[in-house]
Order: sequence, then structure tokens, then C-alpha cells
Amino acid sequence: MEESLQRIVFDRLKADGSLDHDWSLYVIAACNSEAELASALDSSSTHPASTQAPPAMPTSPAGAYLHSVTVQGFRGIGPEATLQLQAGPGFTLVVGRNGSDKSSFADALEVLFTGDSHRWAGRRAQVWKEGWRNLHHPHPAMVEAVLLIEGSGRATATRRWKKEEGVEAGVAEVQAPGKVKQSLDSLGWTEALVTHRPFLSYNELSSMLDEGPGKLYDALSLVLGLEDLVEAQTALSNSRRNRKKAMDAAKKALVPLRARLDQVHDEGGDQRALDCLAATGGRTWDLDALEALTDDDTTAAGEIDWLRRVVVLELPAPARVAEAATGLRRATLEREAATGSGSHRAGTLASLLEGALAYHEHDNVSDCPVCNTSGALDPQWKDRAQDEAARLRVEAASWEQALGAVRGAVRQAKELLVPAPTVLQRAADILAPGAVFEAWQQWRAGITLTAPEELSDHMEKNFEPLHSALETLKLEARTELEARQDRWRPVARDLTQWVKEARSASLGMEHDSSLKTAEDWLKKAGDSIRAQRFEPIGNQAIKLWEHLRQQSNVQLGKIELAGAKTRRHVTLDVTVDGVAGAALGVMSQGELHALALSMFLPRATIAESPFRFVVVDDPVQSMDPARVDGLARAFEEVAQERQVIVFTHDDRLPEAVRRLGIEATTIGVTRRPASVIELRPASDPMTTYLSDARALENDSQLPEDVRRRVIPGFCRSALEAVFTDKVRGRRLAAGAEHAAVEEELALTNTLTELAALALFDDKDRGSDVMSRLNQIGGWAADTFKQVNKGAHHPYPGSLFRLVTDAEKLCKQIGARK
Amino acid sequence: MSSLTAGLLVEAHGLLAYSDAATAGLWPRAAALLARQALEQGLNDFWQVRAPGVEKGTRRSQMLCLRSYADEQLAEEANHTWTALSRACHHHAYELSPTASELKRWMRSVTDVVDSLETNGGKLRSPA
Repeated sequence: MEESLQRIVFDRLKADGSLDHDWSLYVIAACNSEAELASALDSSSTHPASTQAPPAMPTSPAGAYLHSVTVQGFRGIGPEATLQLQAGPGFTLVVGRNGSDKSSFADALEVLFTGDSHRWAGRRAQVWKEGWRNLHHPHPAMVEAVLLIEGSGRATATRRWKKEEGVEAGVAEVQAPGKVKQSLDSLGWTEALVTHRPFLSYNELSSMLDEGPGKLYDALSLVLGLEDLVEAQTALSNSRRNRKKAMDAAKKALVPLRARLDQVHDEGGDQRALDCLAATGGRTWDLDALEALTDDDTTAAGEIDWLRRVVVLELPAPARVAEAATGLRRATLEREAATGSGSHRAGTLASLLEGALAYHEHDNVSDCPVCNTSGALDPQWKDRAQDEAARLRVEAASWEQALGAVRGAVRQAKELLVPAPTVLQRAADILAPGAVFEAWQQWRAGITLTAPEELSDHMEKNFEPLHSALETLKLEARTELEARQDRWRPVARDLTQWVKEARSASLGMEHDSSLKTAEDWLKKAGDSIRAQRFEPIGNQAIKLWEHLRQQSNVQLGKIELAGAKTRRHVTLDVTVDGVAGAALGVMSQGELHALALSMFLPRATIAESPFRFVVVDDPVQSMDPARVDGLARAFEEVAQERQVIVFTHDDRLPEAVRRLGIEATTIGVTRRPASVIELRPASDPMTTYLSDARALENDSQLPEDVRRRVIPGFCRSALEAVFTDKVRGRRLAAGAEHAAVEEELALTNTLTELAALALFDDKDRGSDVMSRLNQIGGWAADTFKQVNKGAHHPYPGSLFRLVTDAEKLCKQIGARK
Repeated sequence: MSSLTAGLLVEAHGLLAYSDAATAGLWPRAAALLARQALEQGLNDFWQVRAPGVEKGTRRSQMLCLRSYADEQLAEEANHTWTALSRACHHHAYELSPTASELKRWMRSVTDVVDSLETNGGKLRSPA
């Protein structure tokens, strides 16, 4: 965004205390660029760090005036022709008949600076583009404008075309005296040529109001340089819209996902589906829960979990069970084999002796508790008994070992009698684990058995049924689990993806209200800045319209730029005969055109424009004479500060300028055959005719007979001009309407009738004309007679005398009241 | 065509054709004046042969009379050209001098009218 605009926005934020709010950061970022806004929104820094004031406003650009325009080989202009202008504020009229190619100068200027012409935009584009070269002088083709630029002086802008080149191929350069040539772009006018277009033509102006409200708005608002503001607004609203879009997309994508979850649940009672539905059912989504639910590895929800646990159930390996049973039997057999053996008895005896020794030791008795022999248990006995017990213990070792082996085998066997896992009961809703459970219970029941033989029988009998029942159940469980996973996984995968989207959408929506505040603020500020900037243009347009409306009953109260985007339009507060709310439809073509001119002249002439000139092509056209007076006044006003160059095809505007005493330079354009263009300063018609007559009189190259035949005609036209001006001036001053005066003038058929109308305000008093002229002097009546007659026959007398007398007569009549 | 009429037309053509600072800008009106006089001279010559005396009447009367002496189309052409040239020879409010192409057209018409009056006894030559 242009720095001055940033500054304005910043100052406004500051003025209403909005800089303290988070959203002001978004306003400022959006004013910088869309990218800046994006990064401001990404980095969720809580307070604007970059709210430093932008630099102060730049000054308005250096203005340029036109010093001259030279054209060669372009449209109707053949050999080089130069339109000399006064490089400064003022009003220049370039007058020439249609076909004199005065407009070629206007077109050439436009093509020089813009490389294009509005003429080439319309329907007849091809005709214009093909016929841009002059037929008589196709090469070289060139347009050159000498500029006077404030602060830097003269510079010459040139566009040249090579042979056969199309109009768009020309090369444009600019050169200041003593400096190198540069591209025309170096003037820095590219943008201004669009926004402050200094070329206005009748066609363009007429179409401006027809092209729809949006176009008119654009054409007027471009000049305000507020597109960047619109862009910033768009950046904000786009950002918001994109966020909302993402959220809407997430919401929309959720609908089919939820339907699928319903289906998954219906088909297999998947708890995960239910949980996911719950997590997405409310106004806000539990995205963390969803993420956990859809993570395949960590999900441990209900039945799936039971199924999974059933699938991994394991019994002791069959080999181990068989081994344990065999071990039991072997240990039992070995114990039985040792029963009643010496070792068995030695063990029994050793235990007896050890009991006696403990008894003796404990109670300190000496009587034998077995045989009641008193005093038998003496220290000698004790020594012997101890030795004997130790010896017997050694002898009993193999028996002890057989007993130990049985205990070990029982212990090992019972370790295999694991209890039935609880998951079997839990899985009862999904599977049919009853048989397995019972078999397992049965298997476990062996734990209470003490006899090793029974235990080994139990194991051999009960393991195999349990094992095969469990394998069957596990297969069922695996099948069920896979069926469920097949239904779930695709949904889970899509849900995982969706969670990502939903998370970013939710995150985006966190800025929504700040963005909305920023957007609303900028819109309001933009409207207010726009209104403020447009006000001077609108006011000037109304002022110009006051000049141009003349007898029009259409009053213009206020012009405003309203609406935005597709609904943008220009509000014209138009009142017709005091009735408000009237539309443009009630206005005539002439009024519309004048209105367009009122609106676009200010656009071309505001201070920000680098163009101190404005070129207006054929503004008169269908205007009635009264409005031409207003037009002359309007240009006079603009010309106070700008160089106004107006091309016109007849004498109506110059006549109004002369009659109203408006300061202006008039240049006449004529075109000889072979596209030779002549430009010469023109004064009022009377003076022109007389100076032409004098020039002819002095032109010794011309045959005398020709001079004698032609000069009286010029003198008569001078008289006609002075009479016409007299009639018009008097009538209009008395308040007559233009149209009535012109009609009256048109009714005069002869010089005498015109003279009568001028002298007596009555065209029928022709017979009094000569006597009135005789009052001025005999020479006056004589001159009148000679010029009237001499227009048809060679004048025999002194041509010098005739022209001198005609001049004198014109002046005297012109001076008379 | 009399040498006078032809001479006037040649001068009128000359004003158009040759760029000359002295006549810059004023040549259209000057050429119109000469062309009109050429037409009037041609008419005078015609009347003197066919109806002596008519040339003394106003041009308006002469144009009305011509309808009885010449082909109606030719009379119409003569009247139209003379009116146009007259308009160009006078000062008219808001009007600028004629263009080169207008003058060329009128001058060709003067040549045709005067030639036809003289050689075809008042019948307009079919356009070439």
C-alpha cells in the first residue's frame, strides 16, 4: 500500500484508540500486503509489535505542461505539423472542421503517452488500428511532445514507428536537454495515465454514464488512489472467508463420516464408533479424544479389546503338560519302589532317634519314653544316638530324594493349572466362551488334588479338551476382530485425516472475531476516507455542473461513491424540477454528456495528478448554444490553474469564448489535400477575414484577376461577421434565448437584410441601410455596395483602398451601440 | 467552357493544391469564391447564347429559369452547387470554412455543369 495511505490508516487507528486492540495488527498487516496478514495471523503473537507509524506523506508529483505537439505520418496528418501551445495554465481552443484532423493531435498525444487510444477500445477498433498511418505519408511516423516539467524544465517525449510497424509497436522515449534518452516510463506516469487520464473525448464521456454503475464508480474512484484500501479490505475478508470455508468444509465432511460411523456401529457394535460419534456430536468437537480413538495402536475400547485379549490367550504348551504328567508318574513309581527298603527304614529310625534326642534335650529327661527303662538316656546314649542318627540319615537319603521328587513333580504340575482368565466371561457378549470357560474351570479344579496319581490322571484327561476348545474360540475371536477392523479402519483413517483438517479449521476460527472487527473497522474507515477524498472532486463537479446545466431543470446536489464490490455505484443526488430521487434516465444526451464532463474534468485536474494539462476532444457536439456558454465558463475556471486544450469542430465554443470575454488562445486547423495540415492562430472571424483580405492583397504571387475576384468576398464576410456578432450580442444581453437568436439570423438571406437586423433590429428595413451608412460617410455606403457586388465580379478599383475601408467600416459598426 | 471559366477553376484548384504560407488557412474561402464565380460565368455564357437577358436577373431567378432550358437534373445540380458555394462564401454563425474534399466535389460539379450547358445543350453528362 502506498505509504501515505498507510499513514492515514495508522493515524485513524491511533485517533480512535484502536491500537491497543489485537485486531489493529491485522488492519495494519492487511494494509501492507496479503502475505503480511497471513504471517500476522500465523504467528499468534498477542500484541502488535509492528505498529510503528509509517513515514509521513509524500509530496504531490512534479506537474507537466505541454509546450508543443508535433505529429507526422499519423492518421490525417502527413508532413510534420506542430501545434504550439503556451506551457502554463490557460485555455487553448483548437478549431477545425471535421476532417481537418485536429483530433489527430489529440489522438496522437494519447497514443504517445499511453500507447493506446480510447478509439481502439470500441467496436471499430480494427478500422482504427489498421488506418492509423497516413495514406499520403506513411513513413516516417512520429509523435513528439515538448513538455515543461515543474522543477526539471523541458523534456521531449517521442514515439516513433519503423516502417510497416503496427501502432502498438512504436518505441517511446523521453529526453531532457543534454541528458540521455530514457524510456518514457521513466517519467513515472504509467499509473497516473490511468487514474488521472488527462484525455477526455466526447465518445468516451458519453459512454461513461452508459457503462453501468460499477464502471462509473471505477472510473471515478481510480483517481482517489484507494484501490490499496480495497485490496486490504479484500485481504481481510478473504482471510475470513477462507477460514469460514475451511470450517464449513470440515462440517460438511463430517456428515458422511458420521453416517459411516453409525453404520460401523450398527454392523458390529463397535464402541469406538459410538465414542467417535459422541466426540463429534456437540457444538464443539473433542478432537483429542477422536485422535486417540482413531489411533489404531493405542485404542483399547470395549469389545475390540476383549476380542484382542481372547486372540492372545495362551495355555501351557501341550509338551509341558505331557512332561509334567509323565514326571508325576515317574516320581510316584520311584517313591513306591523305595517303600519298605533299608533306606526307608533307616529314615524312619533316624527320625525316631532324632525325636528321642530332641525329647531328651528339651526336657532333660533320662528315662526312655519307649521302654520306660529309667536312666537309659544318659550322655553316653546321647553320643551314641547322635552318631547312629547321623549314620541312618545318610542311609535314608535315597528315600528322602524319592519323596522330594514327588513333591517337586506335584508343584510343577500344579503350576500348569492356571485359572480361567476373566476375559472369557467378559467376551460372553461377542463370543460363546462357555465351553472353554467350563473346561478351564475343570482344568483349574485339579489344584485341590493331593495324590500325584490323581493329578497326572487329571491333567491327561482335561488338557486336550480345553486346548482344542480354546483354539476354536481364538479362531472365532480373530475372525470377528478382523471383520470389525475391516469396517473400522477405513473410517478411522478418514477420521484421522479429518481431525487434521478440523483442527486447522478450528484454529483458524479462533481469529474470526478479531478479523471481523478489523474488517468492519477498515470498511468504515475506508468509506470515510473515500468520502473525504472524493468530496473536493464531487464539489468541483457540482460547481462545473452549475455552469453547464444552464437551462436544464436537473439539479445536482451531491455525488458520492457508494457500495462495494459488485454493488459499487455512484450516487448522484439528482433533482428534476425540485423533485428528488430522479434517475439519469430523465436527462437528455446533452445533459448526460455535460454531467460526465462535470465529473471527469475534476478527476483530471486534482492536485495529485502529474498532468497540468487536460486535453478535451470535441466537447460541444450535441450541446445547445446556452450550454456552450456554460462550457466556456467551465473551461475558463479550470484554466485558472490548468492548461486546458480543447479541440472543437465549429465556431460555437470560440464564439461563446469571444462573446463572454473569456481569455483564450484559438488556433485554426485546416487540411490541404495530401494531408498537409496548417495551423495558425485565429482571432475573431471579422479580424480573420480582414487579415486574410489584407494577406491576399499583398500576395503578389497570386494573379491580379484572382485577387480582384476574391478580396471583396473576404471583406463582405468580415462585415457579415460584425453584423452577426452585433445581433447576437444585443439579443442575448437582452435575455433572448440562444435558439431564437440563431433562428432569426438564419432567416436573413442577404447582406442587406443582415445589416438591417444589426442596425435597426429589423431585417425588413433593408431600404434604410444605405442612408444609415451614408450617415457614417459616403465611403461607408460605397464600401458596403462594392463588397456586396464584388463577391460576384472582379473589383475594378484599388484593392488596398477597399480593404482599408472595409476595416474602417467594420470597426465603426462594431463600436456602435 | 470559356477560357475565363476554365481559368477561374484552375486558380481555385491551385489554391487547394499548393501549400503556401501566404494562403494558409484562407484558401478554402478564396477557392470557394473563385469556384462560384466560375459557375456564374458559365451560366452567363449559357444565357447569352440561349436566352440573352436572363443573365441580368438575380441568381435565384436564373436558377429557376434554368429548369425550363436545361435538363432538370442538371438544373438541380447547378442550383445545389451554387447554393453550397454561396454558403461557403458568406460568413455563417458557428460555421468554419469548407474542407478540401468539399471544395473538390463542388469544383468538379462546376466543371460538369458548365461543360454540359455548353456542349450537350443542357443535358447532364452521365457520371464517369
